[in-house]
Amino acid sequence: MASSSSSAAMRELQRELETKANDLSKLQKDISKNHQVRKKYTIQLGENELVLKELDLLKEDANVFKLIGPVLVKQDLAEANANVRKRIDYISAELYVYNTLLDNYCFHFI
Amino acid sequence: MQEPVKGTVTPLASLFPPEEAQKASKRVQDALADRQSELDRVQGFIADNTALVNLVQRLPDELHHDIMVPFGKAAFFPGRLVHTNEFLVLLGEGYYAERTSKQTVEILNRRGKALESQVDSLKAMMKDLKAEASFFDATAAEAVEGLVEIREDYVEESSSERVIETGPPKPDSPRFSGEDSMKVAAEDEEYARMMLRFDELEKEELAAGSGDEHNEADVDHSLSQLSGDHVLGSLEERQVRKPLHHSKDEYATTEELLSKKHFEEDFANQLKSKIQLEGLKEQSVPKDSDDVSHGKSFANRATQSSSRGKDNIQALPTSKAETSVQSSKPATDGLKAFTGSIVEHTRNIQMNPREQAPSSSQSSGSQPTKPVSRFKMQRR
Repeated sequence: MASSSSSAAMRELQRELETKANDLSKLQKDISKNHQVRKKYTIQLGENELVLKELDLLKEDANVFKLIGPVLVKQDLAEANANVRKRIDYISAELYVYNTLLDNYCFHFI
Repeated sequence: MQEPVKGTVTPLASLFPPEEAQKASKRVQDALADRQSELDRVQGFIADNTALVNLVQRLPDELHHDIMVPFGKAAFFPGRLVHTNEFLVLLGEGYYAERTSKQTVEILNRRGKALESQVDSLKAMMKDLKAEASFFDATAAEAVEGLVEIREDYVEESSSERVIETGPPKPDSPRFSGEDSMKVAAEDEEYARMMLRFDELEKEELAAGSGDEHNEADVDHSLSQLSGDHVLGSLEERQVRKPLHHSKDEYATTEELLSKKHFEEDFANQLKSKIQLEGLKEQSVPKDSDDVSHGKSFANRATQSSSRGKDNIQALPTSKAETSVQSSKPATDGLKAFTGSIVEHTRNIQMNPREQAPSSSQSSGSQPTKPVSRFKMQRR
């Protein structure tokens, strides 16, 4: 009677514990994935900023090429500048989204 | 002795279990290893960069170079390298720029600088990790040794002359009490030495008839010398000694005078206490009663002492020979941290009449007649 009820309560608690543990592991996985993506984006952002700096140092008539597959395509300096800037903005936006996602995960965690 | 102070003894092992400390230390070391490999990589890049800079600088020396051109995966054929000043430099993200040799070198230099800043940040991180690792190692070792943390209540000592040995927790093992007795024993020894010295100084002083003002300063100086010479020259002990010597000074003075002239000794006592008051400005209680009784002679004494040259100061510290005028002073030394009697200046008025009584009986300097300070240090 008492023992069965207590063991039932115990089982109940155990199940709860399992679900909580699962949630925890899921959250942790999400967080780690988030970290990885964020790392990638951060590196790309850094690289693009470097490219922008170098492009700014180039003279107006310098030749700029872009590697598209096996082809080196000649690009206009202004065009290249614009492209790089757009890419930087895009990456920063993505990074921001992932950051907020991570914050949400941490919130859940707590 | 000091009243028993309550405290707690916590073995460090309970606070920082050794296995866990070791695990933590290992974790930190792994992180350290990661950083180290990263550092090596970046330094490799820097080396490559410098090599490339050299190459790029050498190429435009010739109009064309004869080289072996790689063809496919495993073949070369002889060829020529032309346009030796034109470089297609990768800027990043698939972007190339055509640059001359000099411009390429500039780009490479900028890259090199960025790499070096990366190296610096990595090194800083590694330093922090190393500090952390060493802390963990030390803690693990201590916990294994069985070190204990002793925490005792801080007994608010109204007298600053007392060496505060209790109080802040010290991560010392049972060596703690050993150190104590060691200190005390050494202090006894030192005390004896100092008393001998005092006697000698007093003799000289009396012979010169100098002011106690100088004597005090000298005793200060000689005391600090003594304590400096001694192995346990800790700051605490010096603090102990500095106020200690005041009492010893007066003490010794009294002793000397007792054995010599009883009349003059009264003067000396009065004088010293007066000058202590004046010189140290500790008390504002005027010694009116004494002044009245000893009036002019007192004033004379004062002027005499002040006019005393500095010769005594020189004489006293230099002569360190210990005489055998060792009286029974160190009787109260025993096992106390504080091994002297404290003679406060406020009590001088009361104490002096008491001093005069035994002095008039001309007893050779012995302790029991010494006034007991209100802190009753030596009576514990």
